[in-house]
Order: sequence, then C-alpha cells, then structure tokens
Amino acid sequence: MTQRSKGLTRAKEIYRDRSRRVKELKTEGKKIIGYLCLYPPLEMMTALGLVPYRIFGDMRESITAADRGLPVSFCPFARSCLDLGMKGKYDFLDGMVMAHACDPVEKTAHVWELFIKHPYFYFMDVPAATRKRDVGVFKGELETLRETLESFVGEKLSSEELKKSIKIHNEQRVLVRKLYELRRPDPPLISGTETLQTIKAVMSIPVEEGNGLLREVITEVKQRRDGPQKKAARLLIWGSVIDDVSLIEMIERAGANVVIDDTCVGTRAYWTDVELTEDPLDGLAYHYLAEIKCPRTFVEAAHGEVRKDHMADLESRFSYLKDCAEGWNVNAVILQSVKYCEDHGFEVPELKYYLDSLGLPNTYLEHDYAEGSLAPLRTRVEAFLEVIG
Amino acid sequence: MATKEGKGRAINRLKTMYPLRAKVDESYQKSVEAMRAGKPTVWAMLNWWEGDVILKAMDLEIVYPENYGAACAAMGVAQSYLDRADADGFPAHLCGYSRNAFGYASRMMKELNGEIPPEAPMGGMPKPVLLLSSNVICDARYKWFQALGHYMDAPMWVLEMPTPGVKELFMEGVYDRCINFIVEDLREFITFLERLLGKRMNWDKLDETMRLTEEICRVWHEISELRKAKPCPMHSRDFWSSMAPGLFLLGDLKDTLKCYRDMYDEVKRRVDNHMSGIAAEEKYRLVFTELPPWHTLGFFNKLAERGWNFVIESWGYHPPIPIDLTNISGPLERLARFCFQFNVGYFEGALREGETYGYHAYPHLVYARDWKCDGAFLHPLITCRSASTHLPYTQDMLMRKANIPSLTIEGDIVDLRLFDPVDALNKAEPFEETMEHYREVRRKEGFDW
Repeated sequence: MTQRSKGLTRAKEIYRDRSRRVKELKTEGKKIIGYLCLYPPLEMMTALGLVPYRIFGDMRESITAADRGLPVSFCPFARSCLDLGMKGKYDFLDGMVMAHACDPVEKTAHVWELFIKHPYFYFMDVPAATRKRDVGVFKGELETLRETLESFVGEKLSSEELKKSIKIHNEQRVLVRKLYELRRPDPPLISGTETLQTIKAVMSIPVEEGNGLLREVITEVKQRRDGPQKKAARLLIWGSVIDDVSLIEMIERAGANVVIDDTCVGTRAYWTDVELTEDPLDGLAYHYLAEIKCPRTFVEAAHGEVRKDHMADLESRFSYLKDCAEGWNVNAVILQSVKYCEDHGFEVPELKYYLDSLGLPNTYLEHDYAEGSLAPLRTRVEAFLEVIG
Repeated sequence: MATKEGKGRAINRLKTMYPLRAKVDESYQKSVEAMRAGKPTVWAMLNWWEGDVILKAMDLEIVYPENYGAACAAMGVAQSYLDRADADGFPAHLCGYSRNAFGYASRMMKELNGEIPPEAPMGGMPKPVLLLSSNVICDARYKWFQALGHYMDAPMWVLEMPTPGVKELFMEGVYDRCINFIVEDLREFITFLERLLGKRMNWDKLDETMRLTEEICRVWHEISELRKAKPCPMHSRDFWSSMAPGLFLLGDLKDTLKCYRDMYDEVKRRVDNHMSGIAAEEKYRLVFTELPPWHTLGFFNKLAERGWNFVIESWGYHPPIPIDLTNISGPLERLARFCFQFNVGYFEGALREGETYGYHAYPHLVYARDWKCDGAFLHPLITCRSASTHLPYTQDMLMRKANIPSLTIEGDIVDLRLFDPVDALNKAEPFEETMEHYREVRRKEGFDW
C-alpha cells in the first residue's frame, strides 16, 4: 500500500474522487448505504457496521437520464442526484435511505426507488414541525428504520452500540466546530473553499476516518503560514446545498473571505451534538428533527399562540444567524439558493428584513446548479463587495 | 361540426352541475358579508377535509388563497399582485398562487390598512383571524403562510399529515402510528381554536359535519364510478365545475349533499340511456392530469368535437376511496382515517404492482386502466412543481404497465400565456394516430380495450 496523503491534501483528493474510499471498503466486505440530505440518522448505520455515504449531484455534468423520472422545472440538485443514480454512478451502494427532507426530495425518493435498484431502500417520513408530538412520531419512524436496517444486516442493534456510535458522531461534530473556530481570526486560518472540500470529504468516508482526517486538517491549518489573506469582507453564506467549490471559490476570488455558513454541507450537520438520552432514539429524534436548521422545518416563536409577534417569530427562526455573525465577525451576508427551492425561496424576504434589522448588508443570488450559471453571478458579487466596501 | 368556444355545445353539460358551480361565487360573497357582520374569517390551504370539517363545525368562514389565485388569474388581476410580490423580494419561481397572495396581502396591509382591495375579484378575501396551513402535497402550503407573517399578525396553525412510502405504510405499527398522530394533532387544533375564538367546540355538530362530509364524498366517488360506462356520461369539465363544493365543503352541507345526489341521478340516467358526455361519437377516452387551464376551458370543446372524451382526471381533486368507518365512533378518529385514506388509499395496489409513487402517480394507472383510457393528457404547471413532479413517472408508468401514450402540454396556474391552445390542438391529430397505434398494441398483448 502506498503511503497516503494527509490533511488538506487528502481532503482535496477525496473531494475530487469521493467514492474511491468506499469502493475500497466494499471490496473488503463493508456495506455502503447512501443517504440524501441530512435527516437519516447516520449513527444507526455506523452502529450496525454500515458505512453511510452522502449522495450529492454534479453541477459539471449535464442532466440527461433524469428526464425520465423528474420534470425539468424542478430542484436541479435533486435532478442531478437522480441523474447520476440513473447513469449507474451510485451502483456501488448496497442500500439507500431517503427522507421527507423537503417536498422535492420526498418525491425524488419515490422515483429513485423505482428506477435505481439497491438491495435495501427505506423512505423515512419527517414531520414538518418540531412540537413534542412531532418528535414522538419521528422517534417511531426511527424505530421502524432501525428494524429494517437490523433485518438487512441480520443482527439486532443494542442501545449500547447505538450510544457508542452517537459518541463517535458527536466527536465528529465537535471536530467540525473546532475546524470552524479556525475561521474566527482575521484573516481566517482556513478558507471557505478548503472547509467545503474537507466537509464533503468527511461525508464520503466512515465516521472514524473522517474524525482522523479532521484532526489532521486542524493540526495542519494551525501550523501553516500560507493561509488565506486578510480581506475587507468577511461573509456568511446562507442557503441551499453547496456541494461544489465553484461558488465559494468565485466569491473568495472576488475579494471576500467566506468565514461561516448556514448550509447543509457545513454547519447545519454539525452545530449541535446529539444528546445521550437513556433511550438513544429520543436524543436522535430530537436532534435530527428539531436541531437541524433547514427552512423545510416549521419553526415558531411559541406554539399555539393566538397572536403573532412578528419580531419574536423572526428571532425564533433566525437568531442563530445573529450568533454566527457576531461570533465570526461577519460584515455581510450572501443568501443563495438553487432555483426552484421553495423552502429557501419563501424565507428570503423575511430573512433579508431580519438581517437589515441587524444592520448586516445582504444580497440574494439564485442559480441553476450548473457551473455555467455561476459566471453571471460574479458581477453581482463584485458589485455587492464594492458596495459594502 | 363547428362549435363556438365557450358555448359548451360540443360537451353535453350536466344540468345538475350548475347549482354546484354557483356555490363558489356564493361562498366568496358570504365570506365578505360575514366579515362585514364581524364574523371571523380563516384563510386556509386546501386541506383535504382535515381542517375544514372542524372549521365548519366551529361556524367559521373560510377562504382559500389557492383558489383565489386561480380566480385572480382568470379575471386578469393576478399580474399586478405578482409584480408586488416580486418587488417585495419573493423569488419569481415560487408557487404562482402564493405570489398572488403575497401581492394581495401587500396591497391590503401596506396600502389599505387591512381593507379589501377594490379591484379584488369576487368580493375579495377579508383579513383573516387565522392562517390554517397544511403539509399535504407540498411544503409551499405551510412555508407560504409562514411568509405571510411579513404582512399580517394573524396566528398560524400547521395541520400535519404523515407521508409514509408505499411499502413502509405496511410495516408493523406504521398505519396506527400515523392515525394516532393525526388524531392528537386535530385534538390540539380544536383546543387552540377554542382559545382563539373564546368558544367551545360543539361536538355534536362536528359529528354531524363529519358524517355529511363522508356522505358527500361517497356520492361524489360513486359519480366517478359511473363514468366508467361507455360512452362516458360525464366530461371532465363537469367534474372541474362541480368539484369545489366537495373539495372545500362549500355552502350548507345538506344542500351540497342533495346537489351531488341530484348529479348522481342525472349521470345514472345518462348511463342507462347510453348518453355521452360529448356530442360527437366517443372515439378516444382520456385521463387528464393536474389542474386544467382554467382560463381556456373552451379548448376542451374543440377536442370534444374530435371525439375526445375526458372520462377521469387528477387524483388530487377526487374524494378518497370510501372506507368502512362504521366501527369508529369518535369524529376525530373518523376524520383522521378519512383524510389519511385520501393520501394512502391507493398504496395497497401500488405495492402489489411494484409502483413506488403511491399517491399522485399510481392512481392514474388505476384510472387509465379501469376507465379504459386510450391516452393521457398531462398538464405540467410551471410554478406548481409539486403537482407536476409526478408527470414523467406517470407517463413512464402508463406506457410500461398499460401501453397508454401521453400528450404533454405545458401551462401554469397563474401565468396564462404559458398554455398555448393552438399548439395543443395542432398536436391532437398526431396524438390520435399514436392512440390508435397503442390501441392495437394493447389488443395484441391481450388487454381488453
């Protein structure tokens, strides 16, 4: 075996050829389970000896096969994922867990299940809100998922094994947050582009290997002297999935440091730990339903209130962004979304209003999840950076 | 035979459809009058009976911004509301109905201090005391009402309907878990309403409302069953004209039930007398899917002249397949089971046939097969993606399973320019050849139509 690379170099290699490692593991007898979006509980898969592997699209590849299953005017990210699946690029998967993460992903799941055959497939319903009853029914959903996974691997999953797995995944969450700490200084010690490459790499390999990679990256970044340069703009990026560095690279080349994000290949997956409850499913249910900050989830200031307080509502939905902006000394925000993402689209006026109230300059960008669609955005980004000085 | 568009001569309209159609206008008018009399009004998403039964029992006026979006589009005022929504920063790709509602709310709240805009068609939508959303079918239907907080301080409630996968529904404990969840959700919703309105639920009235709803939907379902006859006695236009009172529980429910019973009788007479829903000979039987081009319904007359009879249509606007609820005593559990049946009523068949898109898509295979269709007319709606997502799957499934070809003509729910009836008519003749071809293929493969 040749000596493997380390740290950022390894992260970049995995980012570029992300299925290589799990294919190696497959030849060693490991079973690989794909999952789309953040809602399937990875801890359960790890605890059963399965390797969770996050499904992404490819904004550099034309969509040709997915037209058989999804319309053109539809979430281009979901279309791209399905397209890759229908072209056989996820054939190495032994199974797939898809969730009612949002409306397009829910519908993509039904199409995926028909057209792409894996030995195991489970569709997990996810409630829209986060009331106690929602968490309860979601826990029931996790129980059913556990039973199907147990049946697939042919062994029972004990609470102790699941708790052990939760600890390992929590360790990953802690490490990612440590990585993000390195973006607080000015200039940040690690760029937005490098962070995205690292996170995507971590989502492509077994959790313990991911933890090792994160430790290597953190050590390397702390020691190096050739990190990002100081720039006037320190940005927060909010919005729908960013699984390709093109957008972040373009923004960073335009003269900004992207120092924090609120996206699902970033903070949303890692910002809080799963609580180790007596029945581990309680902690998992609460974490995955109530703590992942995706706008697909209905959040309200006070459940059952008979009069709405607009600012309290906005605080309940967006105050974590204020914390991020303060903690990372952000001076402007870019809101971005793939076209046709309604969950993010409906948030835009309210979020802009909230950011305005904080005095944070902001702009909204929309793209087609295609590399070519980013070029016209460069001028807008440059103009925005010029305005904020 | 020449027929003027809109005159309806090519389609034998049902006389019993008109009283049902009239209930839509009456309903809007009644809401405005009720508001003037100080009665609280609720803005509700189409909730497939889950919330409406309760709101009716609480004697609340309900208006539906989704419906109203269609009305604004048809009456030519939607564009000004869409422009306002754009100006307020809502992305243009969002659901067209929602953007219409944002523009309307912006005009009402920012400029008119809560008064109904004078240009608003059909009396307008009065300022609500409650926004009742639902997560059935799409996220837009709760994200939209949440975003209305930008304009108004009305409280909001999200009714939730579980959405299991086809095979997952039949796993141990899943069905009961879903029902228990819905029952608890509804119970809490009632408690909330009582607090909001300062009055108690009349449970006897709720029970009666539920029973009337079940009966209305049962009769409505039976009408569709009669349409399996050859020739089909009722064209889709009559379905669309008469669906709102059943879908939205409009008007006095006893009267609504009588209207549907009258319709059943008329359709039954037609079946007995071999009378068709179209004037010309029925040459092709079609299933239509998704919302029709409301503003260009006369287009169907042209197709009727060619012998196209639309014999069944979109699953999402039909009542659930009836289920036996006689042993279920409480109105909330009956309501929960009834509404869940709408969502999952076709799942057993889908599982049996290996289809994984159990709602939206699979019911159209049942329709096409049981109603003996020669073709499917698919109408994707550009800004209503949730209703259009299943269409490629549906098209593929109809061909895979029953050799039924599809004709796809794009349109939209508010942008009327996107539907081109001339282009659609140009495609009619070649599609007839396709339908003939596949009729032959089906015969050779042993299908019975």
